[in-house]
Amino acid sequence: MSTTPTTARSPVEMARAAGDTRLSVEQVSYAHSANPSQAPLFTLEATSFQAKPGEIVAILGPNASGKSTLLKLISGALAPLSGRILLDGFATNVLTPRTRAQRIAVVQQESPLLFPARAWQFVLQGRHAYGRSLRFESADDLQIAKNALAQVGAKELTDRWMEQLSGGEKQRVILARALAQQPLLLLLDEPTLHLDIAAQIGLLDVLRRLAAENRYTVVVVTHELNLAAEYADQVVLLQRGRCLRVGPPAGIYQRDLLEQVFQTPLSVEFTSSGRPRVAILPGS
Amino acid sequence: MGKVVRIGRGPATVIGRNAVSQATLPSRRGNRSSRESAVPEAPDGLVGLFCFAEGFLAWKGSWIILRSIRSVTAALLVATSFAVPGNWKESQNKEVPAAETFREVRDETGRTIRVPQTVKRIVSLSPNQTEIVYALGVQDRLVGDTDYCDYPLDAQKKPKVGGTISPSIEQIAALHPDLVLVTKLNRLETVQSLAQLGIPSYAIDPHTVDQITASSLKLADLLGAPDAGAALAGSIQKRLDELQRRVGSLPPKSVLFVVWNQPLISVGKNTFIADALRHAGALSVVETEQGWPQVSLEEVVRLQPDYLVGASSHSENSSSELESLTALSGWNMVDAVIHRRFAVVSDAINRPSPRIVSAIEDLARQLHPEAFADGPDLSKQKLMGQIFPVDPVIGSRPGVFSRHRHENSFSPGVCACAR
Amino acid sequence: MRPLTLRRLVLQCSLLMAILFVVMVIALKFGAVPVSLYALGRDLLHVLIGQSSQISSDYGLIVINIRLPRILLGIIVGASLSVAGTSFQALLRNPLADPYVLGVSSGAALGAILALIAEPHLALAPEYAALLTPLGAFLGAIGTIAVVYLLGVREGQIDSSTLLLGGVITSSFLAAIIMFLMNTLSGNLRGFTYWVMGDLSTAPQKGVYWILVVGFFVAAGAIYTLASDLNLLLSGEKEAMHLGVDVPRVRLVVYVAASLLTGLAVSVSGAIGYIGLIVPHLMRFLFGSDHRVLIPTAALGGAIAVVFADTLARTVLAPNEIAVGAVTAVVGAPLFVYLLRRRLR
Repeated sequence: MSTTPTTARSPVEMARAAGDTRLSVEQVSYAHSANPSQAPLFTLEATSFQAKPGEIVAILGPNASGKSTLLKLISGALAPLSGRILLDGFATNVLTPRTRAQRIAVVQQESPLLFPARAWQFVLQGRHAYGRSLRFESADDLQIAKNALAQVGAKELTDRWMEQLSGGEKQRVILARALAQQPLLLLLDEPTLHLDIAAQIGLLDVLRRLAAENRYTVVVVTHELNLAAEYADQVVLLQRGRCLRVGPPAGIYQRDLLEQVFQTPLSVEFTSSGRPRVAILPGS
Repeated sequence: MGKVVRIGRGPATVIGRNAVSQATLPSRRGNRSSRESAVPEAPDGLVGLFCFAEGFLAWKGSWIILRSIRSVTAALLVATSFAVPGNWKESQNKEVPAAETFREVRDETGRTIRVPQTVKRIVSLSPNQTEIVYALGVQDRLVGDTDYCDYPLDAQKKPKVGGTISPSIEQIAALHPDLVLVTKLNRLETVQSLAQLGIPSYAIDPHTVDQITASSLKLADLLGAPDAGAALAGSIQKRLDELQRRVGSLPPKSVLFVVWNQPLISVGKNTFIADALRHAGALSVVETEQGWPQVSLEEVVRLQPDYLVGASSHSENSSSELESLTALSGWNMVDAVIHRRFAVVSDAINRPSPRIVSAIEDLARQLHPEAFADGPDLSKQKLMGQIFPVDPVIGSRPGVFSRHRHENSFSPGVCACAR
Repeated sequence: MRPLTLRRLVLQCSLLMAILFVVMVIALKFGAVPVSLYALGRDLLHVLIGQSSQISSDYGLIVINIRLPRILLGIIVGASLSVAGTSFQALLRNPLADPYVLGVSSGAALGAILALIAEPHLALAPEYAALLTPLGAFLGAIGTIAVVYLLGVREGQIDSSTLLLGGVITSSFLAAIIMFLMNTLSGNLRGFTYWVMGDLSTAPQKGVYWILVVGFFVAAGAIYTLASDLNLLLSGEKEAMHLGVDVPRVRLVVYVAASLLTGLAVSVSGAIGYIGLIVPHLMRFLFGSDHRVLIPTAALGGAIAVVFADTLARTVLAPNEIAVGAVTAVVGAPLFVYLLRRRLR
């Protein structure tokens, strides 16, 4: 999958010319200063990559490599210092929150709920971007919410209280809420952080299936090397705010590169399916 | 809308807000997991009641009825808002006979009010106003007073309208007063509420004993009893002149008037109490513009008043209030406490009414006994009789009889303590 | 799955309105002066058909001219405080928030005290004199809203925790100033403690009623259009933004509208406590946390609570009147403990 170089053209032209590229991150950077008197620090230097519908992109790197910043830029929560992010030709940070929510859905660690809610109420929140104010949910909304829960395999959780769910179950309901937004782009920030291995694999399987079925573009921020290797179609490797390499896992997972980025001895093998696999080497 | 959900026994049980088949649900009476109990739910019965009510109303097709209840209530609220005060005044005026005239009067807070020429029904919202009314002999026109109006005894029998700060506007209005008497003890809001109902309030605000006399005179004019007013003013003036004769030329004793122990509160120089002290041949050591200043003990020690003066409540052992000061630490540096130079007078000193003159006289006697050495034959009884000429019901006057008793049992070593 | 529908919302509101109606009748009937239900109905009918001059009985006039305005005031104040409390709990993501936590009541109290001090020095006609205290209180409230907003703004938008901090600090600062004033000045501030506790006995003039009603519907209406946004805001601000909520705008509108509601209520009745804190929790307990239901039911619940508390305040120690804030505190605090324990059990 080669990345097509882009130049400034009208969105419609670009969409036609670039084939079916959905997400285009072009030379995006971000700097942040702790207080006004200090000089800003570059949390992310110019980074570019592109993604198609149905693809899973993993943003990989150690802590403080700028992964979350990149995700926030893509989601439109932050405006980039330079460059732009185009979703189907539209720059994400100039969209209104409502329009943005109809196209981009974000799954992250949830703040604790203040007041109790049931799973279906939680998932229905995803439909907010499609409603007028003072609107009560229509039958369509309810159906979409039910479908979303079914798609993530959480149908039996529909009437449960959110606080009673386990970590993995909660993560699936949060994903269902994201699906209820009927997005084009699905962003996940370290979704496997608190899950056990079975739940991790379960989640990524679901993502892969959904991406293929519903033609989502999925961008996952993670530091799990093997999960990224197994499930991602593209990997964006970051270190200390710099984008080192973009490409399929096979091209990224080179021993010297990974050891330099993650600062620990590693060994890289390749499985029968052509995917790389990383093994840890305990220090001497 | 679907069918009514039956509560409790039956095919469906209402839990929270869902109807769940009993067959598939475990009993909720058992141990709850800690997670489950973190969720607050209304008691099943209460929610059931609401669901039942909803279901019932919906089932009966009372949709229309509900909507009409809602709109009727809303209409009621809106319509009655038009009935907001304004009608009272109209109806009051209609009931007044055509010959009634009004006049404009300015009260002592500068407010101009409109009063009928003959004031027939009075409500007093302040104890001192009540006393003045009785002193002027017009108490038969007093139709209501406050819980604190306790002097003379007859005042306690009048219909009560509540306290001074929180009287019941309804009660006052129900008594149909022509005039309400107020002072600074009452709230501005009370006066304004009464004004909105068309009931005028007349305020007095005396800051000296002479002003008490003047206020009584003005009130007498207002109430159509100028003769009684003149007589009252005359007798007060006579007694004050007598006091002036006796103690006016003597050097005044410096005193600290104790309003309250903890915190220590005294009186400022612009209060009527300070002026009363002056008439009694005393001078308050506290010189401040503030009305009721909080004084520090250091200041008292520095100023070293000759006497401590306090007012008694209606109890026999009122001197113990001042005596308890001796128990507090630091007070043993005050001369007056060491030598127990206390002067206690009746509660009348706290009320700006004609009765204050008795308290002044009492205090003068305690502070300057030598000026009264020529026979204290002006018995208090006669004095009281002079002030309240038409009041046959004297009742008990606090402190008078007990004072006599103590004077008879004077024991050496105890200073001029009146009790 | 039992989603919220318009029908359910209207049913629940109608139930509450019925309860409010009953409480109103009780409040009209009981008081320092007794009234029979028949006379009450007859007089109300006269009022409705515009023939208020026909009301001949004295007690009828008392009820119409004194009690009824007081009850109407209680309804508006109760509704305003409850909606404001609900909004602040959502805005600050804090179940312990009440309408006064951001200092609006302290600002209003300061304004009222200054008005009470200034009143004798300004020679005003009685109608305007009666307006001075509410006006001063309202201006104090507006000033505080502005100051706390400036304290709570970061990078151009309201930040909830900074706002809360700014509000609490402003509140204590103003309270200190008020205590200082009350200590040093000897004006007619005796009734001020009554005002601070919350007191409905001073009926404002008709124009003020209209301002209160219009202000309530405008402000509460603005908040109500953002009801689903508030639902999402409670899930977390970042999450709400990603779900399509314009968080800065919602925060600003809710802050201004809720503070306005509080300012209006406090200007005419003082700081009646516990209504803005407890009624939202009670309604959440009964009807759930969805703000599309919560806001109207909280408004009605607050009206019921205040009218009921005021009736108690008027009748328990008749003819003496307790401040209504004392009654709400005595009833509200134990109720709050009960709700808290159910939550934690």
